[in-house]
Amino acid sequence: MGGKNAQREGENMQMLRYGFVLLIICFFASLTLSVTYKITHSRIEAQAINEERDSLAEVFPGATNFKDAVLDSNSYYIAEKDNKEIGYVIRVQTKGYGGLINMLVGFDINGEIKGVKILSHSETPGLGAKINEVRAGEKVPWFLKQFEGKFAKNLELKDTSEGIQAITGATISSNAVVSGIKKEVTEFISRLKL
Amino acid sequence: MSSLWQEFKKGITIENPTFVLVLGLCPTLAVSTSVQNAIGMGAAATFVLLGSNIFISALRNFIPDRIRIPCYIVIIATFVTINEMVMKAYFPVLNHSLGIFVPLIVVNCIVLGRAEAFASKNKVINSIFDALGMGVGFTIALIIIASIREFLGNGTIFGIALLKGFEPITMMVLAPGALFTIGMLIGIINFYHLKKKTHKEIKKVGCNGCK
Repeated sequence: MGGKNAQREGENMQMLRYGFVLLIICFFASLTLSVTYKITHSRIEAQAINEERDSLAEVFPGATNFKDAVLDSNSYYIAEKDNKEIGYVIRVQTKGYGGLINMLVGFDINGEIKGVKILSHSETPGLGAKINEVRAGEKVPWFLKQFEGKFAKNLELKDTSEGIQAITGATISSNAVVSGIKKEVTEFISRLKL
Repeated sequence: MSSLWQEFKKGITIENPTFVLVLGLCPTLAVSTSVQNAIGMGAAATFVLLGSNIFISALRNFIPDRIRIPCYIVIIATFVTINEMVMKAYFPVLNHSLGIFVPLIVVNCIVLGRAEAFASKNKVINSIFDALGMGVGFTIALIIIASIREFLGNGTIFGIALLKGFEPITMMVLAPGALFTIGMLIGIINFYHLKKKTHKEIKKVGCNGCK
């Protein structure tokens, strides 16, 4: 009897020892992580804000200031020039081939698109991912460049200069971007006018 | 010193993690679409490998055998998270292109494999060289695969177009292209390896070996 108890006690002690070792390792792991977080945290946040500011300027060249605004609990930006409202920047989310495509779209008060930027996507590399492909020597992805100067309500995939040319082998991704922007921007404008 | 050099060299040649041990193929398939991604992933994995090997080797007498795996995973995950935070803060461009693959280094079998097979049984200094060798070997393998895939699949290397009028084979930048490339490379390496071996063996036994 006594021997069995002692054995069980020994096993329990062993368990406690394992727990203790894990505790110590986890303690030091979380300590180093929190220190790293403290050091990098402010830079990561600054980076995100910078990125957003840069993106806003990219999708609405010519605007000097961007003001935060809210419409039906969706936040958007009002693009201003010399304190006058000249357009808007909204977030557009659309379902592509490989997942959600998140974009930032800038357009003026008449619905003429000023610029499109893809914030994140998970399209197939080499095919759908070409929605964000930049040709050598250019700055804006060629597919998105086509949207500039076109009116949101007229957007469609078409092989002419008025339409948006689809990417070879990636019709679903191309169509997702076009129809997503068309739908969200026209809806936004009509809601804004109400 | 020469044994340390051996430790380093084996990761690149006879124990190359990708071509010989065939470990960590998942990230290899995923990020080898461009040379730039390959270098970024290689560097990130090397950093994690180095950190985890040093600590696991230093703690090898402290960590009980029965709970070694959770301990290793905690240490590896810590280094991956540090890596991710540092990359987000100081190399945002690289962070954008590697995105999801960085957290996945946690489950990269090369890291856990080296912890289990090497760092848990060897001195810290040897483990450092083992980690560096494995990391460099992994990076070189990634660069070779990515160069082939990027060139054939996209017509570029490092994002620079090399040939005018070359129609890229799109399949090469998709998942099957990675499998083809890795399969071919492993095949070529094994072919030369076996050829050398059989030559040696024939020399050893002489012509009697054919009887």
